[in-house]
Amino acid sequence: MAGSMHLSRLRNWFLASPPIEFAISNLKELLVGALRQGPIPQHVAFVMDGNRRFARSHGIETVEGHNLGFEALARILEVCYKSGVKVVTIYAFSIENFKRSKFEVDALMDMAKVKLSQMAQHGDLLDRYGARVRVLGRLDLLKPDVLAAVNKAVDLTSRNGDRVLNICFPYTSRDEITGAIRDTVDDYSTPLQTNGSARTPFSESHIAHNIRAQNLGTRPQDSNSDSGSTSAESSGHEDDSPQNEHRHRVYESGSSFSSSTTLHLGQQDGQHQKNGAHESLNGDKPTFMSPENISRQTLSDHMLTKGTPPLDMLVRTSGVERLSDFMLWQCHENTEVVFLDVLWPEFDLWHFLPVLLGWQRRISKSRQNPDAEGNFAGDSAESSEEDIDTLARQGKVKAI
Amino acid sequence: MVSQQERDILRAEIRSRGNKLSAADRENLIKPYLPDPSDLPQTRPRASTATSATGSRRQKARKTPIRTFIKSQIHRLTYALTHIIFGIIVRLLQAYHAVVERIFAIVYHHHRTPELIRKDVRGLKRLPQHLSIILSLRTEDDALAVLMDEVAELAAWSACAGIPQLSIYEKTGALKSCIPALHQIINTKLASYFGSPSQQPNLQLFAPHHPVFVDTSNSKSEVPPLTLLLLSSTDGRETLVDLTKTLAEMSQNGKLSPEDITPELVDAEISEITSQPLQLDTADRSMADIIKPEPDLLLIFGAFLKLDGYPPWQIRLTEMYCTGDRSHGLTGYGEAVEYQGFMRGLWHYAGAQMRFGR
Repeated sequence: MAGSMHLSRLRNWFLASPPIEFAISNLKELLVGALRQGPIPQHVAFVMDGNRRFARSHGIETVEGHNLGFEALARILEVCYKSGVKVVTIYAFSIENFKRSKFEVDALMDMAKVKLSQMAQHGDLLDRYGARVRVLGRLDLLKPDVLAAVNKAVDLTSRNGDRVLNICFPYTSRDEITGAIRDTVDDYSTPLQTNGSARTPFSESHIAHNIRAQNLGTRPQDSNSDSGSTSAESSGHEDDSPQNEHRHRVYESGSSFSSSTTLHLGQQDGQHQKNGAHESLNGDKPTFMSPENISRQTLSDHMLTKGTPPLDMLVRTSGVERLSDFMLWQCHENTEVVFLDVLWPEFDLWHFLPVLLGWQRRISKSRQNPDAEGNFAGDSAESSEEDIDTLARQGKVKAI
Repeated sequence: MVSQQERDILRAEIRSRGNKLSAADRENLIKPYLPDPSDLPQTRPRASTATSATGSRRQKARKTPIRTFIKSQIHRLTYALTHIIFGIIVRLLQAYHAVVERIFAIVYHHHRTPELIRKDVRGLKRLPQHLSIILSLRTEDDALAVLMDEVAELAAWSACAGIPQLSIYEKTGALKSCIPALHQIINTKLASYFGSPSQQPNLQLFAPHHPVFVDTSNSKSEVPPLTLLLLSSTDGRETLVDLTKTLAEMSQNGKLSPEDITPELVDAEISEITSQPLQLDTADRSMADIIKPEPDLLLIFGAFLKLDGYPPWQIRLTEMYCTGDRSHGLTGYGEAVEYQGFMRGLWHYAGAQMRFGR
């Protein structure tokens, strides 16, 4: 035991000696520069797991382990940004982590506060290098002082572009997905201005009305075209209502929650009551965006990671092979998930390098000959799906 | 790349909770490690105060064209070299693993005997209650037939190992279109493993939005039943999109306020999709418990771990295991589904190592 300790001390002394240190740092520099020459993932996510286990196995305090973890983070961020990664997302704190001991939670919060406020002191430095910090998660669960530090750091760097550091602070992916759904629903249940209805080229009820009129052999009494869908709908109200009611019924039977949620009607703000008024007037609701326009892209745009490139790689340390409620939505078809059997404080370029090299190898191979091994089977399928998505988005834009 | 000495200063400063050094001190400490600002791409137009600075910077950048050229050439060379070396290492590892795999394939062979498979999993501390497997459809003509055969094999192994729930994810959803045929194939396969119908597990096959396909002919089997769920990419993100559409419509009708949308609500709705629809036959309901929506173990037969559009909501706590680029490194297109890969996944889940010799 003592021998191994001496050995490790000797090794540390050796590694810390100036010539060796110089050589290692130059070697790293060279490797990172070399990595830049190939394809580089645009968005990498890390689950920083293993700080506590590292502390336990090395006989130091948990908080100290987290501090070492922060050092590892700084190391790896340096590697990432220097090699050309645009966005790094880290899982700093889960909502579930609030269940840990109060001492540890407080220490983590304290650390976050200190780091973020220190960062704010170096505003000009961050500005010069164009790094942007975003904090993703349930900020409302934070204490006011931590929240103030978070807001200050985010505000300070919000104008910077290029490189982004996403810190998932009190975050779980299910919470994020739910939030995205909620925001989307919120968006779609905000009534549009009535003059916006002109953008809907054809209205369902108007067509139905026309068909009916043709069947009867008469012309519809209102000859206004697509621009006046509101009035058309009000005139077509009687024809339309049975179908509409049918739709309501479908939803009522479709979800077991509708009966309970109607109880909340009284709590709803005036907006919804106004909707109700509209409803009774028009029968249909021309003032809303159609929910049919909601696509995967819509939800992605409401995620906390909106505006960032798709996730290319997710790295989890400490050998736990689960996502643990992190980036569930963002792990799309081609995200490479990597589980490394190394504790986060020990994580360094040497562990990350094979992962990056493997990724580069795969990507460059699939670019060279798309039919060879290592190619994602769904490459063409995905692009076509994306086309559909963009089409849907254009459709949505038109529909608004 | 921070030197030891400075790291110690930083650590001491962390211990004192950031009171020891002033902002300027810290900046001086990190200054040597920051890249030269002229190296950075100047994407943002700077304010007027910075124009003189950029002018001088441009001059500075111009000063060392040879040095930067040599540097980039060195980097390119290093890139090529590292990739050659890495490629050799990868090939060697692949060859090694392929050999190991062949040995495992000989040592661990199921011989279509349930007893042997049971023996292979006997020592394991835990077994997944719900196993999920990602398969991919190949591009050959008989791809669907191959895929169905793989599914049948997997179903048989799971039934032998005592895993009650199996879900198969295949991106395109080709399997869903031929549920009766698949049921037939699996039953034939089970018969070849278990022998007579009375010893054969009762198979329930279903997919979201499809009725349960269950063969009630041999409901008196002694072996616990096997539930097989077929998933495709439309059961993942598309389902969440559909849920959002429904919720949006409800909200537009004033039946629900956005604040009512909680993770619990979404969870309940999403779980409903993959859980078994209630059966009218009461005799069946007693023995078929509702499927667990979250798989315990996700097995990926592929070169690397990609989820390929797997339903995102359910895999929060799922352990994942990738069989890796081992068996047919050169033939390409997905990995063959092989027994030792399946076993390795189960052993890995139980935290055990596979050894030579049973």
